[in-house]
Amino acid sequence: MASADKPINTDVPEKDVFTLHFLQSLSNLRRQNTFNSPEKTNDRVKKIKKAAYVSMARAAGGTNRLWSRALLRRAAKENSKVVRFPRRKKRVTCLRRRRSNRRDPVEEEEAERLRNLVPGGGGMETSKLMEETAHYIKCLSMQVKVMQCLVDGLAPK
Amino acid sequence: MSGRRSRSRQSSGTTRISEDQINDLVIKLQQLLPELRDSHRSDKVSAARVLQDTCNYIRNLHREVDDLSERLSELLANSDTAQAALLRSLLTQ
Repeated sequence: MASADKPINTDVPEKDVFTLHFLQSLSNLRRQNTFNSPEKTNDRVKKIKKAAYVSMARAAGGTNRLWSRALLRRAAKENSKVVRFPRRKKRVTCLRRRRSNRRDPVEEEEAERLRNLVPGGGGMETSKLMEETAHYIKCLSMQVKVMQCLVDGLAPK
Repeated sequence: MSGRRSRSRQSSGTTRISEDQINDLVIKLQQLLPELRDSHRSDKVSAARVLQDTCNYIRNLHREVDDLSERLSELLANSDTAQAALLRSLLTQ
């Protein structure tokens, strides 16, 4: 595949793009009366959290990135289902077995944990996993900063 | 036939990653971690340690998102002028 030749893109995602997406989702939730309805607080928090992650994935390039694609796909599935999809553990273990021959076992164990934390990480080669992780971390910390900004802005003075 | 064989060998060569590439990626990850970012180049941090700290860091960030979502939910439920406040915070960022 040609994707292997592409230069590694480690651009920091657009903060403004994320903020815009997120605010839009929040005002949509508001229009649906999410915040005034007697809905359980837990559900409200879940919706906000989901809005934040989906906005981050969109800002990060949508389907161009493996992790953002996996995240968006998972979110779309959640919208159309009631049943939870089980994690694809099988694939992960078979990858581990194959790789453990040539790499440090401790290192592999940690990489395995990382695979469970990064969206779509289950099927990734170690190098791809690390590249995607680097990008994911940048996006996540940007997301946290913006959310903190919003909380600070909304908090009563 | 030999052409096909050499092509397949070539493609498997591009997917194999060298130790150097992995090391570069490890260093790149290390620079993103608050705890390891400032460690000197001379004291080499093991790849396993970098990966471990990466996991912890991601978990912390996930937890922060959880907390912030909760706080946002409270704030948005309580304030009548949340919309206006949202816009204000957007503009003053």
